[in-house]
Amino acid sequence: MKFTHRIAGVAATTACAALCAPVSAFAEEAGGASILIPKMAEFVPALIAFLIIWVVLAKVAWPQILAMMDERSKRIEESLDEAERTKKQAIADRKASDDMLTDARRQAADIVLAARQDGEAERQRIVAAAHKEAEAIIAKAHRTVEDERQALYADAAASIADLSVSVASKIVEKTLDEDGEQRRLIERYIKEAGSLNASN
Amino acid sequence: MDAFSKLPEAINELVAEFSSDPVFGTLDAGLTQYSLWLLIAAVVLLIIVGVFVKKQTLVPKGVFVNGVEYVVEYVENDVAKGVVGTDWRRHFPFLATIFFFILVNNFIGLIPGMKPGTGAIGCTAALALVTFIYFIYFGCKKHGVLGYLKSLAPAGVAFPMNVFVWVIEVFSLLLRPITLAIRLFCNMFAGHIVMGSFSLMATIFAQPLLEHFTAMNAVGALPSIAWLLILLIIYVVEFIVAFVQAYVFTVLAAVYIQIAEADAH
Repeated sequence: MKFTHRIAGVAATTACAALCAPVSAFAEEAGGASILIPKMAEFVPALIAFLIIWVVLAKVAWPQILAMMDERSKRIEESLDEAERTKKQAIADRKASDDMLTDARRQAADIVLAARQDGEAERQRIVAAAHKEAEAIIAKAHRTVEDERQALYADAAASIADLSVSVASKIVEKTLDEDGEQRRLIERYIKEAGSLNASN
Repeated sequence: MDAFSKLPEAINELVAEFSSDPVFGTLDAGLTQYSLWLLIAAVVLLIIVGVFVKKQTLVPKGVFVNGVEYVVEYVENDVAKGVVGTDWRRHFPFLATIFFFILVNNFIGLIPGMKPGTGAIGCTAALALVTFIYFIYFGCKKHGVLGYLKSLAPAGVAFPMNVFVWVIEVFSLLLRPITLAIRLFCNMFAGHIVMGSFSLMATIFAQPLLEHFTAMNAVGALPSIAWLLILLIIYVVEFIVAFVQAYVFTVLAAVYIQIAEADAH
């Protein structure tokens, strides 16, 4: 309303000024200079046309156009601010994720190291146990061999004693008492001979 | 040369054609050919702005919308904000309307067969008068009538001298609408006269060749090529002039508004 009043005021003043202007009186008599004298047939339509267009555009067009351009500027400004905020957030997130990644890598390295240490300890334990078991098996085998060797010696001594007594009986044609003194002597002899052989 | 002898008469006829003639009514009450084209330009302007408002979106698309918006932004930034200053929004409707009104009129006049509304002093005087009353109104509104009249003289000048300066400033003030009107009119009128003259010369020199094809006439028609080339160059220059004159008128209007509303001269 205020704007319409203002335009109406300007229009009224313009119309008064136009009517007061003594233009047509000069137009006919000024000759070549008459092109510089406004003709009412041009002045009035131009004035009315301009005032109407001014009012129409000022009411309908320019506020809407400016509002749209202002809205665009505002949106662009907001978008730039938002982009700036997003960029900062992205940088912060990236830093956080980098930190997390570094931490995870460190933890993974620690876990791998611990696993290696555990594995090494287990390996050493298994090897030690295997060694111990092998030594036990070897010792047992040694013992078994020794026992069998002892048994063999005992059997061999008995056989040799019997054979010797038998041979001696045949030589002296006299049956020696198999459970007697001669037999004990022979057995003692064989035992001594066996111990000498074993120590060698 | 026969063509040169015909030239003064043809130029006189051309200038006479550019004089205002009533299409209907008389020169006092009616419409001249300039008024008619001015009204057509006014309708074209309304259509252009109407279509623009309808098509304008938050993200401008298309040559038309971008082009009009570019010009609107130009007026907003270079004229309204750049000259008027912080109070630009209040004066933008007037400045934008006057700029587009003159621009469309000037461009319409560049279409062959049409005339610019701004090619008649009556039309430019109307625009200048509205501008004059507009800035006087806002000057008086800001300072009061007496305050505005007093503000015409620069502050700080001693008594007898400031009266003398005030009288000069009043004359300067009254000359503003006259210079606004005459500058725009003369530029458009003279530009069209020059273009018309060169097209006439091109026609006059080529006419014998078109009537009778002889070697002599062909040689005589050779300057027509030069006149046509010059005409083309002037035509391009006139496009620039059409824009520049709309800009100059609007910028001066903005300057006068700014001076009228300024706190101290």
